[in-house]
Amino acid sequence: MYNWLTDCVFYVAAALLVVSSLLVITSRNPVRSVLFLVLCFFCSSILWMLLEAEFLALVLIFVYVGAVMTLFLFVVMMLHIDLEKLKTNFVRYLPIGALIVLGMIGLMGYIIAPEHFSLLAPAHHGADYSNIKELGTALYTHYVYPFELAAVILIVAIISAISLAHRGPRGRKSQDVPSQLNIQRNDRVRLVDVPAEKKE
Amino acid sequence: MTLTAYLIIGAILFGISLAGIVLNRKNLIVLLMCIELMLLAVNTNFVAFSHFLGDNAGEVFVFFILTVAAAEAAIGLAILMVLYRKRHTINVDDLNTLKG
Amino acid sequence: MNFVIPDVVPAIPEIFMLAMTCIVLLSGLFLQRRYPSLPYMLSLLALVGAVVLTVALYKHTTEITFHNSYIIDHIGSILKVTILGTCFFVFLYCRRYVADRNILNTEFYVLCLFSVLGMMVLVSAYSFISLYLGLEIFSLPLYALIALQRDAARSAEAAMKYFIMGAVASGMLLYGLSMIYGATKSVDIAVVSQVLTSVPASQNLILVFGLVFVVVGVAFKLGGAPFHMWVPDVYEGAPSAVTLFIATAPKIAAFAMAVRLLVDMMPLYQVEWQHMLIVVALVSMAIGNFVAIVQTNLKRMLAYSSIAHMGYMSLGLLSGNAQGYSAASFYIIVYTIMSLGAFGMVTILSGKGFEMETINDYKGLNSRNPWLAFIMLLLMFSMAGVPPIAGFFAKLGVIESLVEAHLVWLAVLALVFAIIGAYYYLRVVKVMYFDAPEHQSRIDTTSMDTRIAISANGLFILVLGIFPGIIFNLCKAAF
Repeated sequence: MYNWLTDCVFYVAAALLVVSSLLVITSRNPVRSVLFLVLCFFCSSILWMLLEAEFLALVLIFVYVGAVMTLFLFVVMMLHIDLEKLKTNFVRYLPIGALIVLGMIGLMGYIIAPEHFSLLAPAHHGADYSNIKELGTALYTHYVYPFELAAVILIVAIISAISLAHRGPRGRKSQDVPSQLNIQRNDRVRLVDVPAEKKE
Repeated sequence: MTLTAYLIIGAILFGISLAGIVLNRKNLIVLLMCIELMLLAVNTNFVAFSHFLGDNAGEVFVFFILTVAAAEAAIGLAILMVLYRKRHTINVDDLNTLKG
Repeated sequence: MNFVIPDVVPAIPEIFMLAMTCIVLLSGLFLQRRYPSLPYMLSLLALVGAVVLTVALYKHTTEITFHNSYIIDHIGSILKVTILGTCFFVFLYCRRYVADRNILNTEFYVLCLFSVLGMMVLVSAYSFISLYLGLEIFSLPLYALIALQRDAARSAEAAMKYFIMGAVASGMLLYGLSMIYGATKSVDIAVVSQVLTSVPASQNLILVFGLVFVVVGVAFKLGGAPFHMWVPDVYEGAPSAVTLFIATAPKIAAFAMAVRLLVDMMPLYQVEWQHMLIVVALVSMAIGNFVAIVQTNLKRMLAYSSIAHMGYMSLGLLSGNAQGYSAASFYIIVYTIMSLGAFGMVTILSGKGFEMETINDYKGLNSRNPWLAFIMLLLMFSMAGVPPIAGFFAKLGVIESLVEAHLVWLAVLALVFAIIGAYYYLRVVKVMYFDAPEHQSRIDTTSMDTRIAISANGLFILVLGIFPGIIFNLCKAAF
């Protein structure tokens, strides 16, 4: 019963995942592409749940769909994309693309076939098992060095994104208070020595 | 489900994302999304291996890949904004100032 | 839970670098108005400090810490010192260039320093996780650096191309690593290489499959053909100062990645990756040398020449013996110093509002500034492999190791390509010495410190050619 149910969930999620990922690359409207990508992430998160990676499945939804995909949507909305111009000559490249995909997937399918990889599914964890605790313990002990490096990556991303996209307060009529306070008399007032006119 | 089933899902996703990058001649945003899709394929692989090997290193790796992918998306979109401000297009075929 | 607090001492150079980078960032934010050159000075200080720490903390033994994530060994220390030294010269060369153009000053130095930090992490990485994170810390700032000159559409386009190619490359690399993880149940390079000695034959195919993706990822980052498409566009499109940075230190980092993943991790699969690298090397040498001949833009020509040089370098790696590895590391160090000089020349000669980019700009450089023309002559001769300059000995070492590995046909082909390649370097020399200049004015865009730096750079190439042992013995001891 249990196996039958999980198999069902797996096949539905996997089919939906493949279809929506195909739609990501084929749909003309970028907004739709983003939404299909969100669907992809949802389906993957179901698959990851089946693989008992609960924490990562949730992170994928909360962080990825919640933040990164929203960022994508914002950018898509900000750029005025001319949809007419985007009507693609997709068909022209389609045969090559289909060939690449099928060839690659065929090759990969052959290589990762069960005769090369024969791992049996491990026993399911009990109800008192906490994936988050397990992952957290590993993260703060064994993987403390990569954890610090991840912090560096985030700083780098912040600095580069701001320095690229931020254009300074140009166009805003904001006051620069320190410079107003620091102003010296000589900056504003210029004494001109005008020679007095002599009375004739 | 067997490990192979998950790996095939990963392979299909990877193939589709690669095809998307090769085929897409029009829209840079879709290219960025294909990169996200590619990382998703890799992550699915790692999670599957981690589960079937009973080893949590794979899951930890996925955690870091997710972090990096978010950072990468932010920088990619920032570059896209700069490009759009200059050229008023995100059409791949219009990027032809540099022959190559 | 048995957890031992890891020994942080070997990683002090990286920690120092991170702290200094943050200080540079803060100083730029709060003190730049009062002391405009403070971020620049602090960046130089950071690099010098990191070199001192790296040398001082190296104990001539291999140390692994942070639970198999971090390694410090002989080759790692050499490469780190080279990366830091290269970056020091990069900063000297591009100070004026950055100040003259609309490039954010502090951000430029901070992003470069972060990138250098990533390279140091990559050089010392001993698990897939730290390797991948190091790779990304060094690549992400580069993408941003190219687009930092925000009013140039050309550089934004180059940044976009580099970003997409780089992201695809790391995706490929990760896919390969996932396969290797699946077959060996470990992400630690040390453990993986141990497991590989007893891996069942049925998993052989998977490992080779993973290896293909790993080699593709490495070739992408090195900029070797057939994964070289980004190199010419990025070199040409980026501002010269950024090109100077991209063309030098990252090559060493990518080389370190190749050493860790191929030589350290998969020595048992040497036959397999040798075949893949032979393809990369041959195609790189062919495309690099032939396409460089028709270029009119010097930056683009040097880009193709870098593709060819990566081909020669992989010849050393693929020969698969200790002599080959040390020849390859000598080659990559010498190449970095040469390209530092050549791109440094492009950067320091470009003044406010004009670029010295096309080969025609160099017409009659001899009559405009004989000393700089002479340095450029040394650099070009060295790249072409004219004895007795360092480039010659680098090529010689690589070819010797090929003969040692019984790959004589490859050695002969490499020689033929080297002779073809000499043509376009000599064309630059001819243009500088025998053509009439288009402008008569003397070049006065260089300042004292850059003149000293570029002279030191050029003369070091000459000294290294006469006494190659200075660095060659260091590389030899590493393998």
